[in-house]
Amino acid sequence: MKLKKFGASVLAMTMAASMMVGCGETAADTTEAPATETPATETPATEAPAAETPATEEAPAAEAKNIEATEITFWHAMNGNLESVLTEITDEFNASNEYGIKVTLVNQGAYGDLQTKLQASAAADALPDLAQAYNNWLTPYIDKAVKLDDFVATDFDNWEDIIPAYRDECSEFGFIHAVPYNKSTYVLFYNKTMFEELGIEVPQTWADVEAAAKTVMDAKNIAFIGYDDLAGVVEASLHQDGADYVDATGALFNDEKGLETCTYLSNLYNNGYARLVGEDGYFSNVISNQNIASYVGSSAGVSYIKAEGWDLGVAPLPGNVKKAANMAGTNIVMFAQDSNKQLAAWEYLKYILSTEAMTKWAVNTGYLPVRQSSYETAEYKAYMDENVCAAACYEQAKDFFFSPTFDASNDIRSTVPSTVEQLVYDKADAQTWLDTIVKAINDQY
Amino acid sequence: MTTKRKIVNVIAAILKYGLLILGSVFTVLPFIWMISSSLKTPSELIAVPPALFPEVPQWQNYKDAWAAAPFARYFVNTLIVTTCTTCGVLVTTVLSAFAFSRLNFPGKKTVFSLFLATLMIPGEMLIITNYETIINLKWIDSYKAMIVPWISSAFYIYLLTRFFMQVPESLYLAAKVDKCSDFKYMIKIMVPMNKQAIFSIAILNIISSWNAFLWPLLVTNSQEMRVLSNGLVRFQTEAGSSTELIMAASCMLVMPIIIIYLFLRKYIIEGVTRSGLKG
Repeated sequence: MKLKKFGASVLAMTMAASMMVGCGETAADTTEAPATETPATETPATEAPAAETPATEEAPAAEAKNIEATEITFWHAMNGNLESVLTEITDEFNASNEYGIKVTLVNQGAYGDLQTKLQASAAADALPDLAQAYNNWLTPYIDKAVKLDDFVATDFDNWEDIIPAYRDECSEFGFIHAVPYNKSTYVLFYNKTMFEELGIEVPQTWADVEAAAKTVMDAKNIAFIGYDDLAGVVEASLHQDGADYVDATGALFNDEKGLETCTYLSNLYNNGYARLVGEDGYFSNVISNQNIASYVGSSAGVSYIKAEGWDLGVAPLPGNVKKAANMAGTNIVMFAQDSNKQLAAWEYLKYILSTEAMTKWAVNTGYLPVRQSSYETAEYKAYMDENVCAAACYEQAKDFFFSPTFDASNDIRSTVPSTVEQLVYDKADAQTWLDTIVKAINDQY
Repeated sequence: MTTKRKIVNVIAAILKYGLLILGSVFTVLPFIWMISSSLKTPSELIAVPPALFPEVPQWQNYKDAWAAAPFARYFVNTLIVTTCTTCGVLVTTVLSAFAFSRLNFPGKKTVFSLFLATLMIPGEMLIITNYETIINLKWIDSYKAMIVPWISSAFYIYLLTRFFMQVPESLYLAAKVDKCSDFKYMIKIMVPMNKQAIFSIAILNIISSWNAFLWPLLVTNSQEMRVLSNGLVRFQTEAGSSTELIMAASCMLVMPIIIIYLFLRKYIIEGVTRSGLKG
């Protein structure tokens, strides 16, 4: 009896303690954030230009910079061929830089694993000097990111040369917290052979999509279009219709524009013009088997499409009142706290962002150059001539938008796809689509 | 009458074997599918309707998968970590289970309750704090980091304590009369008598240690220290995955476990059926 009572109290205490630990962490996060912000980010940032000033005054040459030999760790999630190219570029930097800086690449698995590890390391104060990251991973520990504004202002050849949408994304938190690196975008992959056979033009507008879908359905009885990313398509379609998606206060499309967008999407699915990917995971498999006429997916996925017995075409996304295309891919964030390491890491970032290294990266990986000047090199132009995907991406570079980041953005990203899937299964009407998606989003705040 | 009974017997046998065959097909099919997928070309893999076997086995997939990451090194690491954690778990589990079941010491029930209480804390909650501890100990990127946190388990201790308690006390007293020390009694009597339970603990631990993914990823940085499961993600990217290579690598990953199972089958089945654990 005594033991029972004691055991019960121990269990109760453990549970209470575990709950308190949970609360404690979040509380510490929110209260400490502003306090640590100042020392963590401001000081090094102001130190950096101080080290920089003599360089600009005495001589423009980089020799005047005083960087001690050091090792920089860079956590990334580039696998396969992507990793080999990144390693090659990094080796070149390690061999050629005059300061004895050695950048060590650390592969942290896939994006999800990198995200987990970054989050754990932020909590344990053990972040690497550099890491790839999406903006919406960073909200809990953005105070640990180094402000790059001064580096960009005093020691970067031409920030204006970076594609504007990337610049905006990298300064989303009110300061430059990252540099863009492995960027891709969503494009329309289509079965060119099937299009030609049925006399379909590449769709430019939503109306074109519906017309082409009807032709394909009548002739082949298969779906016309699919979307790898169901959250992405809702967001892109709203933008294409001139509407907004979400911000820090909630869903912004609970109006006529939103209903119009939902009408378009629900009609596509309810008429069988669009389909879900199901167990295949990515539409690259479905289109490879010619079970769908086209799909919207990341330009980075082009190598997974096996066009055997048919030709692949790639086009910018169709628009409605305007064109809009999601961009994807991570940026590189600096977390180094030591000022010498910051200078060294910046040298590396400058190197990999240089027109030459960026062109090499883009041509060998299929990622998009982040600089206008890379697009204009003879090497990349030749690449675009051969590579339909790159050409389509370039064509829509002016229409890029990025998803805003705030506390709930990560939850919204993971909720919307399953919500849309359910609506498709239910064959819901447009109004239900609108109400359900708006509610699902607003529930995340 | 006898013919009737014969017919009933035959029908019963058919039903019995039919069910068994059906069950084994369900169990074995995923493995066959994994092996056959690992030998397919990407287009065969996604073909509709799917073919059970590839037209020409693509042994190249194994070569490619093997070359994509230092799997030999991963294999050695996984083996070291699995062996050390399993030995550690067995030592700590047997010693503490013996203490809790047979020895009398002050605060025994309190300590045992505390052990049980830790089972109420979800592992995910401890990951960050454990990770911080590993960082503070400067153990990052070492075998210690992957082994030490896992060499004791409250669950296994609880399980084995229950088994040890079933051994009649009179045996212990008889041994005491014969001047057998506690340690000798444990080694000579308790352990052999509960062989199956200890084996199933070892097997469960081997499986979970072999498959561990998140912890080794967190506490290691260099390729030299990574384990097999970390190698599998190499074939996945944001835009697609090379399923045939994942399957080839998975085959290589599970093969040792299957071989262990084939050798120790008898003990595993006995241990699991006796302990009432579902595998």
